[in-house]
Amino acid sequence: MPLVKRGNPTSPAGATPAHEGIASYTSALANPDPDTRWTAARALGARAEAVPALAAALSTEGVPRVREAIMTALMRVGDNASVAALLPYMRSQDASVRSSAIEALQAMPDTIQPFMARLFQDDDTDVRILASELARNLPADDATRILCALLQDEQHPNVCAAAIDVLAEVGTSAAVPVLRACAQRFSQMPFLPFAVSLAIARITGSEGSGME
Amino acid sequence: MTQSEKASSAIRMQVLIVDDSALIRLYFRQALEGAGFEVEQAINGIEAMEKVLAEMFDLAIVDVNMPKMDGLSFIRKLRRNGSDVAALPILMVTTEAGQKDIEEARAAGANFYLVKPISETDLVRYVAALAGVGA
Amino acid sequence: MTRPEWPAHVVPITPDDVRRLCEFLYRRTGMLFADDKRYYIDRRLAERIVATGSLSFQSYFAMLRADAGQEIEHLVNAFTVNETYFYREEHQLRCMTVDLLTNVLRGKNPEEPIRIWSIPCSTGEEPYSIAMWLMENWSPVDDYNIEIVGSDIDTRVLKSAEEGVYGERALLRLPKALIDRYFQNLGSGRYQIDEGLRESVQFTRANLIDSESMAAHRRFDIVFCRNVLIYFDDASRRIAAENLYDCMRSGGYICLGHSETMSRISSLFDVSRFSDAIVYQKPQANHDAK
Repeated sequence: MPLVKRGNPTSPAGATPAHEGIASYTSALANPDPDTRWTAARALGARAEAVPALAAALSTEGVPRVREAIMTALMRVGDNASVAALLPYMRSQDASVRSSAIEALQAMPDTIQPFMARLFQDDDTDVRILASELARNLPADDATRILCALLQDEQHPNVCAAAIDVLAEVGTSAAVPVLRACAQRFSQMPFLPFAVSLAIARITGSEGSGME
Repeated sequence: MTQSEKASSAIRMQVLIVDDSALIRLYFRQALEGAGFEVEQAINGIEAMEKVLAEMFDLAIVDVNMPKMDGLSFIRKLRRNGSDVAALPILMVTTEAGQKDIEEARAAGANFYLVKPISETDLVRYVAALAGVGA
Repeated sequence: MTRPEWPAHVVPITPDDVRRLCEFLYRRTGMLFADDKRYYIDRRLAERIVATGSLSFQSYFAMLRADAGQEIEHLVNAFTVNETYFYREEHQLRCMTVDLLTNVLRGKNPEEPIRIWSIPCSTGEEPYSIAMWLMENWSPVDDYNIEIVGSDIDTRVLKSAEEGVYGERALLRLPKALIDRYFQNLGSGRYQIDEGLRESVQFTRANLIDSESMAAHRRFDIVFCRNVLIYFDDASRRIAAENLYDCMRSGGYICLGHSETMSRISSLFDVSRFSDAIVYQKPQANHDAK
């Protein structure tokens, strides 16, 4: 088999990067070359001391994959400072930025939980809509409690729809009374009664209902 | 085959629902299947791209806020594609009702825009119109 | 098919429970079970509930959501064929020789090696399959230097891969002519890959979520990363995807397992459709756009 050659495991171009100090990587976050910023963001993953620098870099980063890498780095730190750094991006005008922030926050269920009550009281409907997603990875009882508190008073149908979607996957039977009340409140709206009915069917495991 | 020939033939129109909400997908599916459409689903723009490249659709219903690839990014990418899929009719459905959001959807290449919550009747009517079937 | 009568002490599972499970699985993995496949899930779900000692669907589902004890992996494994064998997912190998290599070569100088990576390679069936397939199906194979690397986190399987000894089950998909050409029959149902082929694949240790071990692997044109990312949690998927991206040349391709989709893993790669397969491509250089 002469023509399927055995090469070097490391291609010449791929020298293992030496361990740089944090300072060197944090300053590289401002480098004009996107690949350099990408590498720096990745190297700073899970480094709590780097959160301020990552947060600052996030505010100016325009290249989507570098932005994602910064968010991944923050997610890997997973502390309150990381959450605080990511939260503002729920308000971004750019849908891809909002979605990325939600995904990163969603991966930190323990840390994000204390922030949720405030998010659900935000004046911005879009923030309240997105906030429900953050409950999806919480333990069932916690998610149910938090989303029911929201549904109790929430008037905007799309915010309720988002919460109901999460409850359909995660909710416990404790959610049923609030869900029923919600269906009443929106009985004249499209979709909401269907959503409630289906969520209750999933929660109670009741046969046959929810599909009509 | 012209659109009207298609409408009167036994071939059913294929609609792709792109939304990360399971409840929305079920709701839309029920409404559309009840009206005679064939339905497939995707939860984000990446899966949507896989689906449209693998089979022919007459229309895609696309949400905005989805993980990994949002609806606007998907539409932009679709319109840049070199093949027939670039012309796929898109009905954008979303929670945002602002003028800016509507303009952004149009600029990205959406053909029409509906604000949630949407009634089954409206959905079927707009899908039928955009997919080229006589209403 | 007649459904079995479950004994009274078995945990009850309703159709809505199954729907809830399916919706969760679809969201997390992209695996879709049509209504006519639901009976199949009932069975596997019941097995897993018993295996985990769960007393209700609710408690099992909570465990699944938290991925306690890698339950997602156990459940998904219950639905998929886990064996590794030669010429598994042949359509991707065909895609490689019919479409991918042509595109890959466009961006390279003729003297540059073509680098192909199988990770995880397990006991070596996949990288050896790649080598055999190229020899058998790619006419320009003699004109290029091709480097095939197989990597895994588990050094025991790597050692086994280097030895290249397999049982008959692993060879079931191979025509007799190929077995005669590339294997030596050791007797007792054991076959060893010929030395030449063994020497054409390099085996290394690598951990997808460890950037350092991945950093030693660079400039791959085609990556086969099958049936592993689907089991990772969100954080690990992101890190693995970033690592893989760094290990690939611009314009390089990555192939996932047949039940897997990049839509659940990462937005770093573009979807590429070919007649034999959907694969994913690292964008060409200078493609960073807003």
